[in-house]
Amino acid sequence: MTERSLAEIKKQNGTIHLSERAWGYLFAGPAFILVGLIALAPITAALWLSLRQQLPIFGIDAFVGFQNYLQLFEDDRFWAACRTTLYFTVLSVSAELLLGFGFALLLSRLSDGGGGGLRWAHVMIILPWAIPTVVSAQIWAWLYQPDYGLLNYLLYAAGITEGRIDWLGDPDWAIHAAVVMDVWKTTPFAALLLLAGLKTVPQELYAAARVDGAGTWEQFRRITLPLLMPVVLIVLVFRTMDAVRVFDAVFVLTGGGPGNSTETLSIYAYKTLFQTLQFGYGSALATAMFVLAALLSLLYVLLLRRHVQESA
Amino acid sequence: MIIGAFFLLWVSTTFGCTQAGEGTDRASTTVVFKHGKLSGDGRVLSDLLRDFERRHPGLLIREELLPADSDRQHQYYAMNLDGGKAPFDLLAIDTIWAQEFAKAGWIAPLDEVLTPTEREDFFPGPIEAATFQGRLYAVPWYVDAGVLYYRRDLLDRHGFEPPHTWPELARIAKLVLDGEQDSKLAGFVWQGKQYEGLMCVALEVLRSNGTDLWSGDRDRAEYGLRFLRETIATHGITPLSTSMADEESTRWIFGEGHALFMRNWPYAWSMLQQEGSPVRGKVGVIPLPAFPGFRSAPVLGGWMLAMPNNSTQQEIVRELISFLTSPDTQHRIAMELGYNPVRRALYTDESLLELRPLLKDLYPILLGAKPRPVTPYYLLVSQAVQPEVSAVVVGRRSPAEALGIIRRRVEQIMGEQTSPARLGRS
Repeated sequence: MTERSLAEIKKQNGTIHLSERAWGYLFAGPAFILVGLIALAPITAALWLSLRQQLPIFGIDAFVGFQNYLQLFEDDRFWAACRTTLYFTVLSVSAELLLGFGFALLLSRLSDGGGGGLRWAHVMIILPWAIPTVVSAQIWAWLYQPDYGLLNYLLYAAGITEGRIDWLGDPDWAIHAAVVMDVWKTTPFAALLLLAGLKTVPQELYAAARVDGAGTWEQFRRITLPLLMPVVLIVLVFRTMDAVRVFDAVFVLTGGGPGNSTETLSIYAYKTLFQTLQFGYGSALATAMFVLAALLSLLYVLLLRRHVQESA
Repeated sequence: MIIGAFFLLWVSTTFGCTQAGEGTDRASTTVVFKHGKLSGDGRVLSDLLRDFERRHPGLLIREELLPADSDRQHQYYAMNLDGGKAPFDLLAIDTIWAQEFAKAGWIAPLDEVLTPTEREDFFPGPIEAATFQGRLYAVPWYVDAGVLYYRRDLLDRHGFEPPHTWPELARIAKLVLDGEQDSKLAGFVWQGKQYEGLMCVALEVLRSNGTDLWSGDRDRAEYGLRFLRETIATHGITPLSTSMADEESTRWIFGEGHALFMRNWPYAWSMLQQEGSPVRGKVGVIPLPAFPGFRSAPVLGGWMLAMPNNSTQQEIVRELISFLTSPDTQHRIAMELGYNPVRRALYTDESLLELRPLLKDLYPILLGAKPRPVTPYYLLVSQAVQPEVSAVVVGRRSPAEALGIIRRRVEQIMGEQTSPARLGRS
C-alpha cells in the first residue's frame, strides 16, 4: 500500500521518474558506500600495494605487476608458513567443533532439566571466549612455563610425565601448545552456536523417534546431526576464517619461533610489513592469506548449498 | 586483520600528516620529543627538560612516550617519518636503526652538534654506528654491551674462578651442576628466543671465535653455532626453555638464584642487587668469554638521539641534543637513572663511581663493544637470519646447513641493493 502511495507522490510531483527498483538502490546507496569504504577500500589498497615494489627506507616505489606473487612461489618461508597455518587450522577447528558439540549437547541436557546451575554453566563456558586473546595467551605462556608452570606440575603430580616438557621451547610441541590454547579459547564460540541450533530442533521429532523405538545414538544420528548441519557449517566457516588469520594467540605465545616452527602466514606478513617495512611484498603475503581464507570459505559455501538442496 | 591494520596505518601516514606543526601556536616554540619509556623515574628526564626550557624563554618541550617494545617504536617511527612530515622534532633511536633511517633520508646530519674532535670523548662503537657516509646522523645518548653475570658464591663453593673462555664456562657449569645436584639450577642462560636478542648472542659467540655470521671464516662460524646448540644438547648446561627466553625471563631465572651464568645487558645489575633479591651480594660481572686464542666480543647496544629531516625547529633541537649529551646531563642521568653514559671521562668520575661502582668494570667492555653489522639493511638481514639461528638452537637445522642458508640469503639481500627491482625477498 505504501509503495503505491509513494509512486503516486512521485507522479504528482512529476519531476522524478524512477522504477521501484531504482529507488531501492538509491535508498540503499549510502549503506553501499559505507560498506565499500570500510570493507572494499582497504582490500583494494592492499591489492594495489601488492603489485608494487615499495620499500620506503630505500626510496623504492615502483609498479612491478605480479612479480611479488612470482616471488611468493619461490619463497620457502612462505610455503612453510602456509603449511603451519593449515596445520593449525585443521587441528584447532576440528577439535573446537568436536568439543563444542559435546558442550552444546551437555548444556542442552542441562537446560532440559532447568535449575540454577544452568546460568553458571553458561558463564563458565563463555568465560574463555570473553577474555582478550593477548591476555589469555600470556596466561597460557605462564601455564606452559617448563619449570614453574602449572601444566608440567599437574602432569608430574598425576604421574603422566616423568620430567618437564618444554611446551614452547620444543619446536615439535610449540605449535600444538598454540592449538590447545586456541581450542580452549574458542570452543565456547562453537558450543554456543551449536546450542542455539539444538534449541531449534522440534522436540516432537524425538518423541516420534522414541515411539518408533530409536535409541539415543540413533536419535542423534538421524535427527540431531542432519538438522544441525547448517549450523555446523556456519561454525566451520567462522572458525576456519579466524584460524587462517590467527595472529595474536601465536604471536604472544611464541613470536613465530623457535626456528620458525610456529610462524603462521599472518605472523610472516606482520614481520615483513612492519619489521622490515617491505610494503609491497608484505601486502602480497596478506593477499595470499586473504585468498586462502576465501578459497576455504568458498568450499564451505558450496558444501552448505549442496546440503540445503539435498534436504529440500 | 593485517589488511585492516595496514590500511589504518596507511591512512594515518597519508592523511595524518596534516596534524604536523600543530601546537606551534601556543608557546612561541614547541619541540616534541618522542622516546620510549625509560626505566626508572620518568621525572628525572622531565626535570632536565624543564631546566633547558628555563634557559630558553618561550620554549616548550613536549615529551611523548612510546611503548617500551622497540619493534613497536621502530614501526611507529618508520610510518611517521616516511610520510615526510613527522609530528615530532626529536626522537630516540636504537643503535641498529641509525643507518637505516639515515639511508632513507628520514633524519638530518648532526655534524655541527659534535665536531670530530668532540666525538673522541665518546665511545667509538656508538659513533661508528651513527656515522653514515662520513656524516654523523645521531648522537649517542646511553650505551650498553653484553656482559656475563656469574654467581660468586657458587663458584667459590666449588673452588672455581670466573671463566675466560667458552669451553671453560661449559666445563665449570657442568662440574658445578654435578656438585649441586639441584634440578632447578641451570648452568648458563642466554637470550635464545627468535628475536633480535638471539642475534646479539650469536654475533658475540661467533665474533669471539674470530669470525662473523655472514662473513668471515666458515668453519669457525659453524663451530660457534654448534657451541650454542651444544650448551643445550650435549653439555646440558642450558635448559631447552632458553629457546624461548628473552632478557627479562633470563634475568628472572638468574635473579631467583636458578642459574650459575647469564648473558645479559648491564641493566640487570641494579635489579639483582636490589633489597630482597635472593642473589643480592652474590653476583659478579665479567666480560663475555671468548674461544681460546680470540678476544671477548660484546655486542653494542644503547640508544641515540636524532632529528627528523623535516623538523622546523632544527636550531633549537640541535641545542637540545647537545644539552642531553653534555657531561653534566650525562652525569645526572647516570646518577639518577643508572644508564651508562656515552662520555668516557665520566667513568673516572669519583662521585659517580662511588654510587655505581660497576661502571669501572664496564668501561673496558663498553670501550671494546662492537656494533652489530653497520648497514642500512641490518633489519632486513636480521629478520632473515633469526629463524635459521633459532632453528640451530632447537636442533632443527645443522649449523652447516643454517650457515649456508644465512650466507646465501644475506648475499641475496646485500646484492639486491644494486638491483632494486628485485629487492624484497626475505
